[in-house]
Amino acid sequence: MKKQEHDQHPGLRPNRRTVLKGAASAAALGTTGALGSFTGLALAQDNLRAKILQIPGVGKGAPTDADWQKVGELCLGPTKANVKEGEFKGVELSFMGLNNQNLHNLLFRGFLKPWEAYTGTKISWIDLAQADYNPRLQQAIATGTVDFDILEMGAPFEGDVCGKGLASEMPDWVKKQIDIDDYVDYLKPPVGTWNGKTYRVTIDGDCHNFNYRTDYFSDAALGKAWKDAGNTSEWGVPKTWQQVQAVTKFLKGKKFKGQNAFGYLDAPKPWGGFGFYFLGSRATAYAKHPDDKAWLFDVDTMKPRINNPAWVRAIQDVIDALPSEPADQLNADPNTTGFQQFLAGIGAMIPWWGDIGQVAKASDTSVIGDLVGFDILPGSDDVYNSKTGKWDKLSSGPNHAPNCAYLGWGIYVMARVNGDERKHKAAWSAAAHIGGKDLSIWTVMYPSGFQVHRTSHSNIDEWVAAGYDRKYITSYLNSQFGSYNHPNRAVEPRIPGIFQYYSVAEDELTKIFAGQYNAQTGANNIAAAWEKLTDQIGRDKQIALYKASLGM
Amino acid sequence: MQNSSVVAYTRPNQSGSERRRASRRSLGRAFVALASLGALALLLIQVSHATGTIAAGFTTWRPVLYAYLVWAVIFGASQVAIRGESGLRALFLLPAVLYTIAVVIFPTLFGFYIASLDWNLSSFEGPHFNGLNNLIGLLHDRYYWNALANMVFYTGAVFGEYAIAFGLALLLNAKIRAQKFFRVVFLLPLMLSPVAVSWMIGKSLMEYRFGPAATLARHLGWDNPAFFSTPWAARLSIEAMDAWVSIPFIMILLLAGLQAMPREVQEAAKVDGANGWQSFWHVTFPLMLPVSITVLIIRIIFKLKLADIVINVTAGGPGGATDTVSSFIYRVYRDRSNVGYGTGLAIFYLLLIIVFLSVLLRLSRRLTQKVA
Repeated sequence: MKKQEHDQHPGLRPNRRTVLKGAASAAALGTTGALGSFTGLALAQDNLRAKILQIPGVGKGAPTDADWQKVGELCLGPTKANVKEGEFKGVELSFMGLNNQNLHNLLFRGFLKPWEAYTGTKISWIDLAQADYNPRLQQAIATGTVDFDILEMGAPFEGDVCGKGLASEMPDWVKKQIDIDDYVDYLKPPVGTWNGKTYRVTIDGDCHNFNYRTDYFSDAALGKAWKDAGNTSEWGVPKTWQQVQAVTKFLKGKKFKGQNAFGYLDAPKPWGGFGFYFLGSRATAYAKHPDDKAWLFDVDTMKPRINNPAWVRAIQDVIDALPSEPADQLNADPNTTGFQQFLAGIGAMIPWWGDIGQVAKASDTSVIGDLVGFDILPGSDDVYNSKTGKWDKLSSGPNHAPNCAYLGWGIYVMARVNGDERKHKAAWSAAAHIGGKDLSIWTVMYPSGFQVHRTSHSNIDEWVAAGYDRKYITSYLNSQFGSYNHPNRAVEPRIPGIFQYYSVAEDELTKIFAGQYNAQTGANNIAAAWEKLTDQIGRDKQIALYKASLGM
Repeated sequence: MQNSSVVAYTRPNQSGSERRRASRRSLGRAFVALASLGALALLLIQVSHATGTIAAGFTTWRPVLYAYLVWAVIFGASQVAIRGESGLRALFLLPAVLYTIAVVIFPTLFGFYIASLDWNLSSFEGPHFNGLNNLIGLLHDRYYWNALANMVFYTGAVFGEYAIAFGLALLLNAKIRAQKFFRVVFLLPLMLSPVAVSWMIGKSLMEYRFGPAATLARHLGWDNPAFFSTPWAARLSIEAMDAWVSIPFIMILLLAGLQAMPREVQEAAKVDGANGWQSFWHVTFPLMLPVSITVLIIRIIFKLKLADIVINVTAGGPGGATDTVSSFIYRVYRDRSNVGYGTGLAIFYLLLIIVFLSVLLRLSRRLTQKVA
């Protein structure tokens, strides 16, 4: 019992209310005699999960198409409960998704092959590289040429797709099949919904966590040097951005394990808009006030906050840290910082999506192995209050605001299937199959491009049984769930054209970091470009959608 | 008498064939008129449907394309009917003309139309006419002018590429050992895709941490061999990569020119006592001028489209130092879905290129005439 308590994420530990509810439910089940059959079902499900998690086995090489098909076959149970064999014979569906790193659609093909055989449906595939995805989707929307029935899409595009009535509303039987209540809090409505209607089968949970090198921060020599440098605090993992800056500057010129030591790694090079998230991760602790849901735009006017003191401070932090980072850091995008630097042993701290934790141990490309620890993003000693225009020091201590960047991938069914009942059911059945609860535990444990997104993914025993190291996975999951469930999480605005805002900002940021403007001037330029963009897209509707996306 | 009877016999035939020809011509013209009316009517219906004026119409524009194809066939066949032998000759040219109209002239004109729209793919209102605002916008766009300024550098560097390529061509044209081997080796970079070059050289060989070029630079005393971190280092590195791919192209054309040059001219210069430099500067170089100008113009056209290496290696950075007009348009169009403005930038650039190349061609014509 004690061990189980320890293994569960603190945010998921039972409280008085849930214990009482659980006890009442158990008593009710006992009196009706249903407990026996219920536990039987639960055991069967546990066995299934344990069985699929051994395909091919953590640390036993990368899964192949045969493995994906096996997992898909074993997870067909919920489909069989809702669909008769051959029920969709003759139905043809088109599925548009990504082929990043030979994952995503390639996995879906394998998972859906047994589903196709069982239901009689035929699926044709539109595979896109990440860089091609946005323009392809935008063109399809703008020109009214939606030529796909099922779509793999990130929540930031919900404004473009659901807001324009292009998606099909999720039927109740799908909600039940995928156990939609199992999603972590931050992926529950308003995410995945629009005007109160649910559209998305969530298959991923994205947020930036803080990845650090455990060997750096447990090194006695560095600890001594830290003290010798006159620091009064203990040498350890930074908890605030102020500490991150101090550690980064301290490590400049130091040697660690025979190599140049570096602290935090920024990603100043544009990355198709995605690079902006990394400035966002530095900024949220300064800009996301616990009393204010908004942090990127003013809610009532869509006036950008990018040039307010909080964001300018984050930009200035990058400017100040860059001289202490590797000499060519200006030409580093997030792919470089994550995969060519941090995982290759360069640098002590980066923010990234959960991929770093998945790859650090499981991939041959990583040299740092388990010398990596995880936390939620650092906080800040003070936080900017946009309403008062002042910096607040919170009585609760440093302000933390995990950057829930991108909000993960989901599966959406397009409205064009609505007129055909069989096609509609087939499309939703396919979406429900690849977004199934049991199948999801496999995708988050193996290379898939998807991270934990369900409460049921927090069972550490399940991870350990699959082959993960307990300490490592505890740290990893705590950072993920700690971010998802954080009361002051900074949730990305799901407004149309959000990546256009990011892309414009990246262009200006690269000029700031190259020294062409100071932080404030550059931020003002970004704000002016964003204002222009908002006017072009349509300010009034953007305001309405921004409010809707924040659940206001 | 005999003659007159022949005349009397043939006249009705001639007038019969003339009548037939005349009726064929009329029929041909009628077919062209009918087909043109039909195609135009279809186009009008579809335009009205697309603009929401009428409900009737097609869901896609494909029927308009089919109508154009049908019209093209009828128009071609009618040419034979109307113009006889000369119409038959026109048939050899017509498919190419109609194809060019369909895939070059029409898209260019359509491009001008798109360039006049305010069309962001995320916009709720959809495209709407924007007059000259895109043009005015680009005149105030710092990124566009920065990219154009970079293009001046990249274009200027073509002359450096030309000088190196000329040197290599002279070398390969001389009687050296393993001449054929070197010809093949020097041509290899040309066979590589610029995207492959971006990764192999920009992201591997020149990689700051483990790249052999960076390691060599360190051995040579450059402490921080970051090829892409300062504006000029990045610009020169991008130019070096592009030059590496393109110099073989210039070289092979110059080599062909050198090999076509009559040897007697060189020998006569030698007999007159010219040394190597004098022989090159006063004989070879002037005689190679027409080839040189052709190759320079082709290379400049290619250079003005530079984008792939920049997008892959620096994404235009640091701070726009390596940005090209094409890589900027790529971002505007692709990352920002700003179709109207992106097309406006492209059309304006096209016009600039046309003007620039026209001036260049005129200058080169004068230069070659002077030499001649």
